[in-house]
Amino acid sequence: MQPYIISLLNNQRDAVLEQWKKELELVRTNNYLTSISDDVYENMNQEFMRFIISQVTTEQEEAKGHLSSFAEKYIQAGWPLSYFTQGLQAFRRVLLAFLSESESDVQALLSTFSDLEEWIDGIINQLVHDYTGNWEDIIEMQKLSLLELSAPLIPVIEDVTVMPLIGTIDTARAKLIMENLLEGVIEHRSQVVLIDITGVPVVDTMVAHHIIQASEAVRLVGATCILVGIRPEIAQTIVNLGIDLSKFPTKSTLKKGIETALELTNKKMIDL
Amino acid sequence: MRIPILKLHQYLLISIQVELDDQTALQFQEDLLNKIHNEGSLGVVIDLTSVDMIDSFIAKVLGDVVDMSSLMGAKVVLTGIQPAVAITLIDMGIKLDDVQTALDLEQGLTKLQQELEG
Repeated sequence: MQPYIISLLNNQRDAVLEQWKKELELVRTNNYLTSISDDVYENMNQEFMRFIISQVTTEQEEAKGHLSSFAEKYIQAGWPLSYFTQGLQAFRRVLLAFLSESESDVQALLSTFSDLEEWIDGIINQLVHDYTGNWEDIIEMQKLSLLELSAPLIPVIEDVTVMPLIGTIDTARAKLIMENLLEGVIEHRSQVVLIDITGVPVVDTMVAHHIIQASEAVRLVGATCILVGIRPEIAQTIVNLGIDLSKFPTKSTLKKGIETALELTNKKMIDL
Repeated sequence: MRIPILKLHQYLLISIQVELDDQTALQFQEDLLNKIHNEGSLGVVIDLTSVDMIDSFIAKVLGDVVDMSSLMGAKVVLTGIQPAVAITLIDMGIKLDDVQTALDLEQGLTKLQQELEG
């Protein structure tokens, strides 16, 4: 860091901070941060400014470490990234204004400015990197949990298993559904599997094709597949698209499906 | 390599425990039909639990065996088809439409019994 900037910050700290604070207020209105109380925002600004000032004087490697832990703290708290990037841009504007006032030599001004630019950009890059890294982690975790939820298999009674499907089905998910279905049939020794598509919003040729394939595979491993939860609009689409589902039984509700399943497995429900 | 065919009352039991090659499969087809002819069996259970892979030729032979056996008056049930095998078969477009299937040997026998009685 150029000693010039350090001395400028040391000599005119209050003036710089004053100016910067005004800019930060602008950032606030642009970023929908108005819902945050004045006190909290004020504190945050103080913290942010203090941190940046302290960055000036620390060694580069050490500063990097400090920055990471600083960013970590605010990522957890949910501060938007744009607050920091715009805040730092504002800081650069303010410093530039002060520099151009006090320095008349254009050449020196330019070199100081490029130094300043490099420093601030470094901080911004590091912050963006930390933030996006955090987001990528979150997305990865959500993907995993989505995968776990995408094809659950529930053994309801002996020989009968239900797979409730919710949400749209794409090829990758269909593959997972088929694998889970077959593994589950073997594991639970089910004779009848009910696929419940109540929660599937659209059944097009592709989805129907996947379901037909899955049920045929289920037949091959030695169980029967019943498609339940066919809503009126789904029935209409299926017939309009000319999809042939006649090869395996379909029922309108899970309840009716279970009744059929009981019949197939020679079971009966009785009232006590 | 020959696949052993066991007789149990009026049924024949076959457990395939080796990788089926084309020659073995055809030999098996011949052996089974002869056995059905000699014993006058009414039902056949072919257990595929230990088979990890079925190619299109083997699938065709299996389908043929089922058709041939039913011509000779014996019902065939395939049992224990592994998930991976089922997925490969479906992916290849082989549906074994007219073939009965069951989860394991026990359920296969039950199924045969039901069909012969009913």
